Order: sequence, then C-alpha cells, then structure tokens
Amino acid sequence: MTGTAAVDAAPYFDVTDPSFSIKSAAVHEARERSWYARTNYGLAVLRYEEVSRLLKHPKLRQGSAAWPAHNGITEGPFADWWASWVLNKEGEEHHRLRRLMNPAFSPKLIGGLVPRFQALAGELIDGFRESGGCEFVSEFAEPYAARVIAIMLGIPESEWPVIARESATIGLAMGVTIRQDMPKIEAALANLYAYADELIADRRRGERDDFVSALVRAHRDSDSLSDTELRDGLLLLIFGGFDTTRNQLGLAMQTFMRHPDQWRLLAERPELGGKAVEEVMRVNPTVTWVTREAREDFTFQDLDIAAGTTVHLFSESAGTDPRVFGEYSFDIAADRKPHFGFGGGAHHCLGHFVARSDMSEALPLLARRMRDPRPAGGEEWLPDSGNTGPVRLPITFTPAA
Amino acid sequence: MKVIVDLAKCQDHGQCAIAAPVVFQMDEEGKLVWDGSPDESQRLEAEEAADVCPVQAILIQD
Ligand code: HEM
Ligand code: HEM
Ligand code: SF4
Repeated sequence: MTGTAAVDAAPYFDVTDPSFSIKSAAVHEARERSWYARTNYGLAVLRYEEVSRLLKHPKLRQGSAAWPAHNGITEGPFADWWASWVLNKEGEEHHRLRRLMNPAFSPKLIGGLVPRFQALAGELIDGFRESGGCEFVSEFAEPYAARVIAIMLGIPESEWPVIARESATIGLAMGVTIRQDMPKIEAALANLYAYADELIADRRRGERDDFVSALVRAHRDSDSLSDTELRDGLLLLIFGGFDTTRNQLGLAMQTFMRHPDQWRLLAERPELGGKAVEEVMRVNPTVTWVTREAREDFTFQDLDIAAGTTVHLFSESAGTDPRVFGEYSFDIAADRKPHFGFGGGAHHCLGHFVARSDMSEALPLLARRMRDPRPAGGEEWLPDSGNTGPVRLPITFTPAA
Repeated sequence: MKVIVDLAKCQDHGQCAIAAPVVFQMDEEGKLVWDGSPDESQRLEAEEAADVCPVQAILIQD
C-alpha cells in the first residue's frame, strides 16, 4: 500500500450531513490540499485533471446500477426497468443500445427543431412578461423542458403536465423513502409504459419524420430495438431529459442574476447562447457529482482503489479548479476547457445535443425580454449534492420587447 | 477516405469507438487510437462516429 500516508492525510466529508454543501468553500479548500477526499459514500475527486481522467477510466464503470438493490429492491417492474436503462448497462450490451439510439439524437436531426424551440420560448415568455415578474421554475423552466420532450416525441405539447406529473412520481425513487413509495412509483411507470406503447404502435402504422420514427427505424445490420427496448428508450428521454433541463435552466437564471453584466451581454449578443450554456454548466452544474464504481483493484496516482469502491466526480469543484481556470470568473465570451456537466466516456449524456440546443435558444430570448432580473424572495431548493436545482425561483425584472 | 481527429479537441470519450469499432479503439490507458485511412466499407460507420463525437473532433475527408 504505497498510498497509505496520503490516504490518512486526505480530507473527509460526511456527504449525508444536511449541512454539507458540495459547492462550498470547504470543498474548494480541500481541493487545494488534495486531489481527492474520502466520504461516507466512497471517494470524492475534486480537481479538473483527475476528474477528466477518472470519468473515462477503463477500470471504472457507471455507478448507479446498484441503487435499488442498496435499498432492498431486487425484483418487480421497477427493478427490471432500472436494469434496462442504458445508464445501468456496461460493455457490449451498453454499446449496442448506444449504437441503435445515437442516430435519433444526431445533431443533424436536432438542428431542424431550433425554430420550434424558439417559438416555444417566445410563447412562454409572452405569458408573463408584461407583469414584470414570474415564478421562473413553474412558468418557464418546467413547461419548457417538458414541452421540448413533447416536441421530440411528436405528441401534443398540451400533454406536458402528464410528463411532468408521472416523472415527478417516479423521481421519488431517488429519495430515501424509495421502499414506501414503490406502489405509487410502479403505477406511474405503468401509465407511462402504456403511453409509450401507443406511440410506438402509431409510428409502426405510419412513419413520420420525427424522433420516435428514427428510433423505430433504428437498426444495424439485422439488429434492431425490440418493442420493450423502444419503450424503455422513450422513457429514457423523459427521465434523462426533463428534470435535468428544468434544473439546469433554473441554475442558469441563478448564475446570471449574480452577474447582471453577463445577462446584458447575452441580450446584445444572442449568438453567445451556446457559450453561455457551457459557462453556466461549468460553474453551476445540475449534476453535481457523477458516479463511478471500480470494476477491479487498481492504483491511480499512488492511491490504491479497491474493487467495488464508489467514486464521485465533483463536477463543480473540477469546473472551478484554479489550476485550469485561474481565479473564479464567469465570462460567457471566454474560451474554456470542457466542463463535466454531461459526464463523459462511454456514458456521456446521450441527449446533450438536444439539451445544449434548447437551452442555447432559450437563454438569449430570456435575456432580451427580461432586463435586470432579480430574486423576488421565497426560493426553494433541492439539496445541493446529487442532482440539484431550484424548486421555486420567484423573480422580478424590467420587461422589454 | 481519410479520417482526421483534432486531438486538441478530443477528450477520449470513446463514443467513436462505440459507433465504429473497426476504425476507432480505446487503448489500455483509455486513450484514442484510430485508423487514419480505413477501408471504404467503413464509411457509414465512420460518418456516424463523426456525428456522435460529443466534441465534434472528427473530420472525414473524401
Ligand atoms: C441539461 C440537461 C442535461 C444534463 C445536465 C444531463 C446530464 C447527464 C449526465 C451527467 C449523464 C451521466 C453521464 C456519465 O455517467 O458520465 C447523463 C446521461 C444520460 N443522459 Fe443526460 N443530461 C441532460 C439532458 C438529457 C436529455 C435531454 C436527454 C434525452 C433526450 C438525456 C439522456 C441521457 C441518457 C440516455 C443518459 C445515459 C447515457 C448512457 O449511459 O450511455 N439527457 N446525462
Ligand atoms: C434513464 C433516465 C435517467 C437518466 C439518464 C438519469 C441520469 C442521471 C444522472 C445524470 C445522474 C447523476 C450522475 C451519476 O450519478 O452518474 C443520476 C443519478 C441518479 N439517478 Fe437518475 N437519471 C434517469 C432517471 C432516473 C430516475 C427515473 C430515477 C429514480 C427512479 C433516478 C435515480 C437516480 C439515482 C438514485 C441516482 C444516484 C444519485 C446519487 O448518486 O446520489 N434516475 N441519474
Ligand atoms: S468520440 Fe470524439 S472525443 Fe471521444 S474519443 Fe472519439 S474523437 Fe475523441
């Protein structure tokens, strides 16, 4: 054990303590002392270079697969569904699903949706602009994220509350009360399955030029997605894309309210929308840690990591690492190294072209029509470790055309 | 067909190696290795790799 001395000197965090904050000065100070910390959930990696390498390290696999089993849920529809996700698959099984699904998420297909993203953002903003205030999550971030998914699925955008409601119920499985909530969760899952089956049957009857048809058509040589895999694929879109996009938009608003000069710059230069999304996700990512698990014993920079160890890659700590980014600044015109807000390696977010495209359309439109946004009080937030964001974010602003 | 990878952009995500395993592979260290002039039969897969690369680092020429 060459790493023993370093192990004992490493910082320690209790990440389940409600007062622990993953974006806190304590984490940033620890980063200056050590590239990693120990936690009651395994290792936490704090610096840019090490996060970048471990994110794609061949000795690590994605680490979320064991969650239901850790909570005593080993069978039933929920456990089956969890195991079916591409996020929880490894090796050739994972690669096969990615190969079949990738074309439906291609940047070429998504480019065609940009005018619809713009129209949607405009419509939502018009709904509250003149009043000079809004609750940003329920009046913008949530309907925007859900309706983007409705657009991709080719269902009426008016059905977005179904997506939001069932998805919120299934999201209860993220929480510590997962066992008690299981009957509700499985009922919501059944509703969405029925919904997805109907969509698939419809596209099998007559193809359209849309995302669901692209999935239905997907095949490689003689291989194609089974109906069950298609259904799971559609649910992936809902669960992988809804909360994440809603939360990331809320966090973007929070960041820009702290940097009003950058909001004004974005209003003047809408072509900076894409870079604004990258800069927000670097300093204020919704996925604050990305999870990996060691497949086998290995040594990384003198640290021995045992098989089965959970490794959390802290995306905000890495994204603000002064070794790479210098003193903290938020500048949407700067050229930066890539952030880790979409994870990386084999499991790199499948939907990132969609998320990048829809958010980079929304932010400049918001900036142009809502001048000088300020918090209006009454905010509520998710805990800031894991997947975070505002639950309520009331704001006021000066309306503009 | 020429396959060019901009190594200043490439982040070794390995999505190309999933899309076109004959042309792109990840070595023991998790670094990208690739065939710069693959057989014409690999064109579709190579183009798909260029399409899925998260940082759009791959260029296919002629
Ligand atoms: C701002 C919005 C989003 C954020 C921050 C985000 C973030 C992430 C992250 C961090 C991962 C895990 C990567 C890893 O373990 O290295 C991931 C995976 C994934 N995301 Fe996203 N995502 C977003 C939007 C979307 C959208 C819109 C979709 C679907 C259309 C989507 C579908 C997926 C899927 C399917 C995976 C699993 C991929 C795999 O395991 O191969 N995401 N996402
Ligand atoms: C297929 C759709 C989904 C995708 C792509 C997805 C993506 C993600 C991402 C990006 C993370 C954080 C990064 C990571 O831990 O590597 C994550 C963590 C997690 N997600 Fe999701 N999510 C999905 C749906 C759900 C749903 C529906 C639930 C609940 C039923 C859920 C439960 C969890 C749990 C328990 C974690 C681990 C949180 C932690 O490490 O503390 N996910 N997922
Ligand atoms: S997908 Fe792109 S970033 Fe990833 S290894 Fe291939 S070329 Fe590099």
